[in-house]
Amino acid sequence: MKKKIIAFLQNAALVLYAMFAIFPLLWLVILSFKHDRDMFNTTFIFTPTLENYRMLFSDGEYIGYFLDNIIVSFGAIALSIIVGVPAAYALARFDFKGRDGIAFTFLSFRFAPEILVVLPLFLLYQELGLYDTYVGLIWVFQVLSLPLLIWILRGYFEDISVEVENAARLDGYSWWQVFIKIVMPLIRPGLVASALLSLIFVWNNFTFSLLLAGQDVTTTTVAMLQYVASDTVHYGQMAGAVLIASLPIIILALSIQKHLVRGLSMGSVKG
Amino acid sequence: MAKLTLKNLNKSFYKNREAIHAVSDLSIETKDGEFVALLGPSGCGKSTTLRMIAGLEDITSGEVLIGERKLNDLHPKDRNIGLAFENYAMYPPLSVYDNISFNMRAKNVPKETIKKEIDKMASLLDLKDLLAMNPSALSGGQKQRVNIARALIRRPEVLLLDEPLSHLDGKVRQKMRTEIKHLHNEINCTTIIVTHDQLEAMALADRIAIIKDGVLQQFGTPLEVFNHPQNEFVAGFIGEPPMNIFTVFATFKEGSVYLVSKNGKLRFNVPDKYKDYLEEGKEYRFGIRPTDISVVTDDQPYSTELNVTVFENVGEECRIHIKIEEDNILSIVSEEIYKLDTGDGIKIKFDSDRIHIFDVNTGERVEKQKVLI
Repeated sequence: MKKKIIAFLQNAALVLYAMFAIFPLLWLVILSFKHDRDMFNTTFIFTPTLENYRMLFSDGEYIGYFLDNIIVSFGAIALSIIVGVPAAYALARFDFKGRDGIAFTFLSFRFAPEILVVLPLFLLYQELGLYDTYVGLIWVFQVLSLPLLIWILRGYFEDISVEVENAARLDGYSWWQVFIKIVMPLIRPGLVASALLSLIFVWNNFTFSLLLAGQDVTTTTVAMLQYVASDTVHYGQMAGAVLIASLPIIILALSIQKHLVRGLSMGSVKG
Repeated sequence: MAKLTLKNLNKSFYKNREAIHAVSDLSIETKDGEFVALLGPSGCGKSTTLRMIAGLEDITSGEVLIGERKLNDLHPKDRNIGLAFENYAMYPPLSVYDNISFNMRAKNVPKETIKKEIDKMASLLDLKDLLAMNPSALSGGQKQRVNIARALIRRPEVLLLDEPLSHLDGKVRQKMRTEIKHLHNEINCTTIIVTHDQLEAMALADRIAIIKDGVLQQFGTPLEVFNHPQNEFVAGFIGEPPMNIFTVFATFKEGSVYLVSKNGKLRFNVPDKYKDYLEEGKEYRFGIRPTDISVVTDDQPYSTELNVTVFENVGEECRIHIKIEEDNILSIVSEEIYKLDTGDGIKIKFDSDRIHIFDVNTGERVEKQKVLI
């Protein structure tokens, strides 16, 4: 009986917390179906309208922003994986001078607030012609996602016994085959989790997107500003845009939830 | 099956710009089907040697041969060796069956053949019930059996075992040791075992190679290395409890040779043949095993008289410890049980055929000629 009461209280607490956490999202959904004129005079009672969404998609601009966001985010993550996986492997496996120094340097990329580096980067990008380009944004986003990827994967590589790799080599695989067929499957949970977390960082980034791009390449986060017009703020359209922008991440996170939990509780690859 | 030959094998690498010689000029030749142990303290280069044989480590210079076939530049998979790793090194996501068959699947062996081979291996190593399990569900001893099965399934000419018992404890270790010995009798494959446990090497191997700092100290049968250690290191490393070793002076008196401990407390006669090997007044290292000292209770001749410091009776034997120098204790192990107490005076006798005298500087045994067993 006592157990039941405790379980009930626990569940009640969780429900309360869930409401607290989800409420802003619910508020957004409501806003996105309201006319601008209803925005401030009613709370729950209004005539729902799809006008906001129609406005978003009518000129096709929003789709462009959305695609831009996808290109730079996934581009940055792909680049991070290509660079980060070998880097993490080297930092975990090879004993070379300054190994910990290099690992720490990677981590230090995340120490400073973005605004600190944005001015020099802005000037550099102007000079190099990277300003307002896909390559430019991918380049700077990769700096955000790489440290996380390297540090999570390094732990995974360290957990894999070198002897497993040796054994596979004795079994007739080349170094590359060992890496692809033996090592990669063992780090997959970590790779998925760290890639998703990095993706979230990059997807939601505002500072760099705003200051290093904005005309030719515009991400959804920056595009939100357009709904702040000189005469009024189009809260409804903004809410709709935010909702659509967060959909990919929500869908991704839900679909790989299992990996995510396993991937972040490290040490799960030991045999 | 074949004989394995190591010819002047060298391995050096650089750390902080300093050359480190992990293995220096190691030459060992095994017979076909022989069980050889590479024995030495950790970091002595024995595992490096094994890895060079397996092809996991580059050879700085020298040759590794199986029969007449030179292995130096062959890929590990082409060397025809099997290696059982110290940490078992199983692929965690695969079942035991898939772990063992991994090698054959990599070579695209037909499924039926794989099944047959594994069945054979399973009955040889008693793995039938484990085949469907995952590595994480196995005990240490079971993992080691799977590990060995995996090495054997490729029908190697030479089987390499890297510290196979070091992660097992107590009883399992004993049992596995017997199993490995039994397995070797069964398959009769040339086998190299790397170990730091002298007891393991003595129990398993036909011949033992004792290595220190990458240099081969002695290569011989267990009896040879036990009875005639070539230097002080081998003498101290082999045997449990360890050999008593202390510094002595040689003095000649009336045609006989006497050895005197540094503080003069111990003084005893050694056989006359040592006259040819020892110089008067020079320092030597004298060694004798605890089991080669006997307590004299009647009027028989004895070597020296001392007072007991600690006495232990462990049932099947008793151990007497005598402090002979400030930091040196002479131990005696006797199967005959005495009743002694701290401070009791006893007469002891060194078995004169079983004493070992080493040069104080080089550590080499003084009598250089080969002694036959």
